[in-house]
Amino acid sequence: MIRDITIGQYYQGESLIHKLDPRLKVVGVLVYLISLFCFRYVIGFLVAGLFFVLVLKLSKVPFRYVIKGLKPILFLLVFTAALNLLWTPGETIWRFGILNLTKEGIYKCIFMALRLILLIIGSSLLTLTTTPNQLTDAMEYLLGPFKRFGAPVHEVAMMMSIALRFIPILLEETDKIMKAQMSRGADFESGNLMHRLRNMIPLLVPLFVSATRRANELAYAMDARCYNGGAGRTKMKPLKYHSRDYKGYGVLVVYLVLLIVVTRTVAI
Amino acid sequence: MSIQLENVNYIYGESSGQEKWALKNINLTLHDNEFVGIVGHTGSGKSTLTQLLNGLEKPSSGQILYNGQDIQAEGFSKKELRRKAGLVFQYPEHQLFEVSVIKDVEFGPRNLGLTNLEVEKRSFDALKQVGISDELLDVAPFALSGGQKRRVAIAGVLAMQPEVLILDEPTAGLDPAGRTEILELLQRLHRENNISVILVSHSMDDVARYAERILVMNQGELVLDGAPEKVFRYRKELREIGLDVPQSANILYELRDRGMDVDTNGITPEQAAQNIADYLRRQS
Ligand SMILES: Nc1ncnc2c1ncn2[C@@H]1O[C@H](COP(=O)(O)OP(=O)(O)O)[C@@H](O)[C@H]1O
Ligand SMILES: [Mg+2]
Repeated sequence: MIRDITIGQYYQGESLIHKLDPRLKVVGVLVYLISLFCFRYVIGFLVAGLFFVLVLKLSKVPFRYVIKGLKPILFLLVFTAALNLLWTPGETIWRFGILNLTKEGIYKCIFMALRLILLIIGSSLLTLTTTPNQLTDAMEYLLGPFKRFGAPVHEVAMMMSIALRFIPILLEETDKIMKAQMSRGADFESGNLMHRLRNMIPLLVPLFVSATRRANELAYAMDARCYNGGAGRTKMKPLKYHSRDYKGYGVLVVYLVLLIVVTRTVAI
Repeated sequence: MSIQLENVNYIYGESSGQEKWALKNINLTLHDNEFVGIVGHTGSGKSTLTQLLNGLEKPSSGQILYNGQDIQAEGFSKKELRRKAGLVFQYPEHQLFEVSVIKDVEFGPRNLGLTNLEVEKRSFDALKQVGISDELLDVAPFALSGGQKRRVAIAGVLAMQPEVLILDEPTAGLDPAGRTEILELLQRLHRENNISVILVSHSMDDVARYAERILVMNQGELVLDGAPEKVFRYRKELREIGLDVPQSANILYELRDRGMDVDTNGITPEQAAQNIADYLRRQS
């Protein structure tokens, strides 16, 4: 039952985009997201949209997986769109009470919606093609300069990867504990909120006990292998740029130049 | 009590597309007051089967009948089924959660909605049956030894007074003495309380000595079903699926293969020695 939940939304694949260095992908997505805020004309979306479609095609991720990411923010999307549509001051087209449909409103609504959609599907493409572990690696590397100011970058990255590693294990354990308690007549599904919370105790206590025990064992195991933090530590599989990654950075620059040129010359 | 499985299949991950057949076409009847051993390699589907028996999981296809009634039928009480077919999971750590041993055992009977008096009486009796002494009643369950935790976990299910006690690898991780203790306890419960015991194990040695009937599972299929002596006749087949017959039986079979006419019905070392002695006496 609980096993059906998948964490993250990695889409297993062998595509070019999957193989790219995670640092390039993180930087690329950041640049892409910022670029969405850097133009004032709708024509910019044509360039940004085409770029997205290009990367999507290369990644071989089915479009419906990308769309799935939009579901949780559907409400927000409709809400902001409606707000912009009906309350933007300007040249009135239609009026009903306090509702005021204007030319500017329509324009702004389309603008906001497109921007929001591209923001979401753009960043979900990153998590779809990059495993959580690769992401932490990239994060550690990119935040590296902050180590100079005493930020525990390595430690935070290590904690993140350990946490990610434990999620499926704890989910499986939750499933087993639930079953063990249900065998003794526990009921996790009915009753009011207070009841349900109290009924969670037989589940939560063994889960916490086991999580602490596991954490303890892991700490001992790390200690036994002389782990003592990030200083001087090398990686088994260091991130290494290949020629395709440099080309990737090149493509990113071309995209930015194209975006600037198009939005400066065509004012639609 | 009888549990009947008809053409039962179980597939994990049907919804996610990564299908894994855990049980294939199981047909089986478990009778009243039996001591059944289920043996099979890790991953052969033993745990899945136990969870089907008390309704925690639903078969992908096929039927499970408890006393002739379909347990998936509307109106059939799963809660009642879980009381009658008590399942003890492999790791006691998965169920112990209370501040004291006695309170933990009381959890099951309390969920049945019994009176305080009845709850306490049943829990007390159950702990006594599994051999937990009075000094341990108020100890925190986490402070117990591995064998003691197992026994408390068994008491937790026993206190619900099941008709059949199903145990998933209750001896895993215990030392030989602790193992024998648990197995002897099960045998005692079976004989004195007249309840059925279904003992799951990956070790033939554990099961051979106590079970009256052995079910052998391999890759989701039920490959052998019968009395121990009958099952051990398929020595070669068992070896092929990575299971050994008990050492004493093995010696008897080897002797027979080399032309000595010994009685091969011997599971314990004592029986085997007796059979060999009988043979030698007949010879001289
Ligand atoms: N929750 C689960 N999700 C997916 N596959 C599972 C799950 N539980 C068990 N399996 C698979 O089903 C098969 C049978 O498992 P199980 O019943 O636990 O066997 P056993 O108890 O004999 O070791 C194994 O191949 C196992 O990998
Ligand atoms: Mg198992």
